[in-house]
Amino acid sequence: MSDDLLFFTEVTLAGLGSGALLALTALSFVLIYKATRVINLAVGETLMLGGYLFLAFAAGMGLPVWAALPLAIAGGGVLGAIVERGLIRPMLGKSPISVFMVTVGLGSVLVGLVEMLWGTDPRTLPGFIANTPVFIGEAYVSRKIVVAFIAAALVIGVFLALFRFWRGGVALRATASDQAAAYSCGINVPGVFSIAWIIGCATAAGTGVLLGAIGGISPSMGIFGLSALVVVIVGGLDSILGALIGGLGLGLIQAWTGSYLGGEYQSVVTFGLLIVTLVIRPYGLFGTHEIERL
Amino acid sequence: MTTVSRRNLLQLMGATALSAGVLGGSALQVRAEAGELVIGGSLPLTGVFAFAGIAIERGIQDYIKIVNDAGGIAGRQVRLAYEDTGYKPDTSVAVFNKLTSQNDLNLYYGDSTAFAKTIAPELQRGGKILMGGASFASELNDPEAYPNLFMAGPDYSEMISILMEYIAAEKPGAKVVLVNSDSEFGRDPIESSRKKAADLGLEIAAEIITPPTAVDVSTEVLKLRRARPDYVIFHGYILAPLPEFMSQAKQMGLDTKFMGTFWSMDSSIWADVGETADGFMGVMPYRYYYDDEPAPMLDTIRQMRPEYQATGYTQGMITAMVLLESARRVIEAGQEMTAPALKAAMNTITDFDTGGLIGVPISIPGNSIPVGRVYQYSAAEQKMLPVSDWIKVGG
Repeated sequence: MSDDLLFFTEVTLAGLGSGALLALTALSFVLIYKATRVINLAVGETLMLGGYLFLAFAAGMGLPVWAALPLAIAGGGVLGAIVERGLIRPMLGKSPISVFMVTVGLGSVLVGLVEMLWGTDPRTLPGFIANTPVFIGEAYVSRKIVVAFIAAALVIGVFLALFRFWRGGVALRATASDQAAAYSCGINVPGVFSIAWIIGCATAAGTGVLLGAIGGISPSMGIFGLSALVVVIVGGLDSILGALIGGLGLGLIQAWTGSYLGGEYQSVVTFGLLIVTLVIRPYGLFGTHEIERL
Repeated sequence: MTTVSRRNLLQLMGATALSAGVLGGSALQVRAEAGELVIGGSLPLTGVFAFAGIAIERGIQDYIKIVNDAGGIAGRQVRLAYEDTGYKPDTSVAVFNKLTSQNDLNLYYGDSTAFAKTIAPELQRGGKILMGGASFASELNDPEAYPNLFMAGPDYSEMISILMEYIAAEKPGAKVVLVNSDSEFGRDPIESSRKKAADLGLEIAAEIITPPTAVDVSTEVLKLRRARPDYVIFHGYILAPLPEFMSQAKQMGLDTKFMGTFWSMDSSIWADVGETADGFMGVMPYRYYYDDEPAPMLDTIRQMRPEYQATGYTQGMITAMVLLESARRVIEAGQEMTAPALKAAMNTITDFDTGGLIGVPISIPGNSIPVGRVYQYSAAEQKMLPVSDWIKVGG
């Protein structure tokens, strides 16, 4: 393999890896939006909280990784349950902008909470992914990125299967299609709302642990959610497949842009892509047509 | 004849009593504070820069305590009046306006480059305030354009110069890669770094810009592998994504040495990075809390605070030291406390002893203190250890 081709292959693999993380974060947006029609802007901060919960369980309490990881994910789920029951459900029927602003406020509250509990210094998570590199053929890939990719692929695959075959998943899809019809079929719509928030926030918390393992954690790491928001707008706010393809696509585009044009072009290309998609397909590549834009 | 109703009379009496109280109170307040020197502060106690802001506030307060315990500045007690800005320039300006309306301020600590640039015209118009702060932006190190500002260390270009002087001495003709974040902070020294490298005969093998949201840096590390540099100089970061860069570069078998600038150089942020952090180098204008070279001020700090104090603490303390030394010189010269007088007094500071916080006597000929030293992190000791002497750059 020539040097240039090898470089291109490595860049592409790295792009797929970081795209998987974007897809996983985007999945959290989609799960919550699909069921409740709420764009949760606090996904980035929930992700950050997941990283800090893992730090607390693994470093603070000295628990092994196999215990700390599910606890951090469960912590995200508990947060989702509390937020849905305490903040979002009382807002049912209110203006979408008001609910949207509640999630903006929630993001700030989570940052404040983390700063109070863990301080403001950037931190490093206890290492739980080996540092030895992985070679696919001759091409180098960071092991953390491989792990992130596999985790994202598994989680998204499981969700796609659940939505297709599990009763709860079907109930969620039914609620997303028509809440009144779902009620009349005996579906517990408020229960579906809770489940969506719990799973969405738990997914974000788990992603936060993966992200933290790669880049460390800090109260400002929630900004990663902004890139994932681009993914869901491009992929379609209510499409899990859109999150997957949008995430991987954006990861690839960012990697190629960063490598061949320079890092300074990444934001230009990313947000340029967002604008073009909104102009051509306002509901996203795989989204449902009637999505109301805020 | 004008008649005054009972209600009007009561209102009149009430208003008189109120105004007497307010005016009397103000007069008392002015008398009570007449002898005070107040340092104002727009401090980032929350937000992305809070890790530094909290330490900076402690450093300023501790220096004020040391000064007040020793009798103040020319007999005047010192006080810090500050509020949190969240590291947002508009909030910093609002805090500035509030504090300047409530206090007679001549000395100020600003929290960011954006705030310094925004408030500079106002400082010039007012002609009263000398301001230091958290920014080491090269652009601010221009006494013509920013006559009311200074920074308590070298500017970012000078920091890179110090690192390159070190590299040129260690390995002449070395290959260097510059990695900068895509932000005003990150891009600051790129131009001057190219020039300095050329002057010193160093080769800039690549320039890598990372987006502010970058977490995974695999693609950037691939570029690094292509360039195979002897040294990488990071600028525009605190911690992330430096450890991942270093970890992946080690995985690829690169024996590159990694360097950073001031805000990446606090040893506490590297403590839990582990073995990957070992050997990380960078420029630091101050001694670390745990340095064992003779430094009376460090001894005092260690007595006041037995636990480790971050580099932001020393930055806040040195800034307060320069502000108050300038004020002392103005008062002792019998001059009016104006910004030009304070700045002129500051520029008379030559061979000044910081109590060992900076390892050599300092002079402030312009807006910066262009001196620093290269330190290297030891993962075993969890400390930054000096690997160079103090290096002076610039004029």
